[in-house]
Amino acid sequence: MKIPNDKGYYGEFGGKFIPETLSACLEELEIAYAKAKKNKNFVNDVNFYLKEYAGRPTLLYSAKNLSKVLGLNIYLKREDLLHTGAHKINNALGQVFLAKFMGKKRIIAETGAGQHGVAVATVSSLLGFKCDIYMGAEDVKRQSMNVFRMKILGANVIPVVTGAKTLKDACNEAFRDWVTNVRDSYYLLGSVVGPHPYPMMVRDFQAVIGKESRTQILKKEKKLPDYLVACVGGGSNAMGLFHFFFNDTRVKFIGVEAAGFGLNSLNSASLSIGKPGVFQGANSYILQDKYGQIKNAHSIAPGLDYPGVGPEHSFYKKIKRAQYVSVNDKQAVAGFNLLSKTEGIIPALESAHAIGYLKELAKKQKNSLVVVCLSGRGDKDLDIVRNYNGIKL
Amino acid sequence: MRLEEKFKKLKQEKKKAFISYVPFGFPEINMTGDICLTLQEAGVDAIELGIPFSDPLADGPIIQKATNWALDKGANVDLFFEEFSKFNKKLKIPIVIMSYYNPILQFGLKNFFKQMKSLDISAIIIVDLPLEESQPYIKEARKWNIDNISFITPTTSRLRVKKIIKYARGFIYYVSVTGITGPRDLSYSQLSKHIKNIKQNTEVPICVGFGIHNSNQVYRINKFSDGVIVGSEIVRFIENNYCEKNFLNKLKTHTKNIISR
Repeated sequence: MKIPNDKGYYGEFGGKFIPETLSACLEELEIAYAKAKKNKNFVNDVNFYLKEYAGRPTLLYSAKNLSKVLGLNIYLKREDLLHTGAHKINNALGQVFLAKFMGKKRIIAETGAGQHGVAVATVSSLLGFKCDIYMGAEDVKRQSMNVFRMKILGANVIPVVTGAKTLKDACNEAFRDWVTNVRDSYYLLGSVVGPHPYPMMVRDFQAVIGKESRTQILKKEKKLPDYLVACVGGGSNAMGLFHFFFNDTRVKFIGVEAAGFGLNSLNSASLSIGKPGVFQGANSYILQDKYGQIKNAHSIAPGLDYPGVGPEHSFYKKIKRAQYVSVNDKQAVAGFNLLSKTEGIIPALESAHAIGYLKELAKKQKNSLVVVCLSGRGDKDLDIVRNYNGIKL
Repeated sequence: MRLEEKFKKLKQEKKKAFISYVPFGFPEINMTGDICLTLQEAGVDAIELGIPFSDPLADGPIIQKATNWALDKGANVDLFFEEFSKFNKKLKIPIVIMSYYNPILQFGLKNFFKQMKSLDISAIIIVDLPLEESQPYIKEARKWNIDNISFITPTTSRLRVKKIIKYARGFIYYVSVTGITGPRDLSYSQLSKHIKNIKQNTEVPICVGFGIHNSNQVYRINKFSDGVIVGSEIVRFIENNYCEKNFLNKLKTHTKNIISR
């Protein structure tokens, strides 16, 4: 079975629900990507920069202290050690070389936490692209360090003041820019969401996470893990970790969504409590009211603050290949503190959701072998956590 | 009245169609009826009634603001049908529903078309439903004899144009620019060339929308099209004037000035 099929469907999920103006550019993108994948120079460039510039392969670290505290055998896939501090650079490098391959002149991107924005600003300055990044005005406020990083790197950061002023609205604006400037601009989408071929492309560029993890764990433990755990907003680090293990049916996948203030209140748990629908180019689980209007999401982790999710995750849910659970703001901050104190590693609040879930997992299955994707580092979140905990310096 | 009949009549009278867009529920839920009737009096040939969606990807700031406003006032699909039934008998011109896919999908395609039929609405435009995703929708629309209006844009390839016109009903919505809705300057020579090309292959009328905001543009475009669609300019006018005395009269005059035939 080929996933996705030629029309970009993962079972009933996915597709290309976009205004006609974008049809031609998605087709162009699809053809270019298929060509690029077979082009030696493209593949070599991407691999070279992943290794020499971003710092791959990343370590698979046996977190002994955390394991002891929780009663699990935990390995952390250290995507936080990559250049720019998160897994987002994997996809940004892949797509920026694709933009070059296609002869585009300008890069557009959306960003939530700013990690994707920083990655895009970085690779754009590396390859000399003009770069415009849309970011919700609310996120601009709460992730000001990343905004400053993007500016230093030469990107133009455009605050978005429509809607809830977060990631979903930044995506809308990026699409509007792309519809307007389709001929010379490349839209560098940051997660496994949006219309085909984006969910597939981003997955392919992130699959290196799982590919390395599989080899590394086999070498260290001589067996496959019982569980893979990763946070899910749009779902790129989770899909990147899961993809290479798809056929290892004994390995269970757990995606951790953001329950925000709680599942009965504002949250970002599209798979846990949403319903299928069409939003930002694809059919997938979304948070919506009964009239099909998209709800505002909330998470303490700006990178998870999104009312939709990648269509392949919806497919994994449907076929029960993965289980999707959720962790609220409080549990995420507890995870953030726990990893910092036990291992001396400050995780991004997004990744802290995956850490926050481990306590639950330990209750179910003591001593299991678990690989957790530590998708990013937490420097960007210090202000949020300080405010949350009411810490005075 | 169906679009087909309207275009036939316009052709006999050697006139071009003037279609205006207004979002339902803007600026108030109960003003949509009066606004539609006023547009009819002003002489518009058809009305595109927008059902607001929270994330209107193809719309510029003017329509974004109006649709968000309408959503804040409580606009939704149920309320749309309920409100529309209060004034539909007074409308003598074709009504076209315009929306994004999700509100309609969640209401249920079959239910949606059934409701349209019962209220004599015989055409629909869905912004984010390109040909590839349209099959279930077109099939259901045919069952209820509802015209699905298709878009063609400056980036649509010749091959794609051929596929699209095979399924086109009512009229073809030609998008004047690559971009979103809202006032713009337009390049007539390019537009005219594209539309002449499409016309070689189809009898379905072609109307041009996006960016059109004054009577001069309407005049120039009608030289090669079968009509125009004006949205943002009318929405902007409503936003700026709805609190004024004689608002409906002013809207009528303003609309007439843009039509100016």
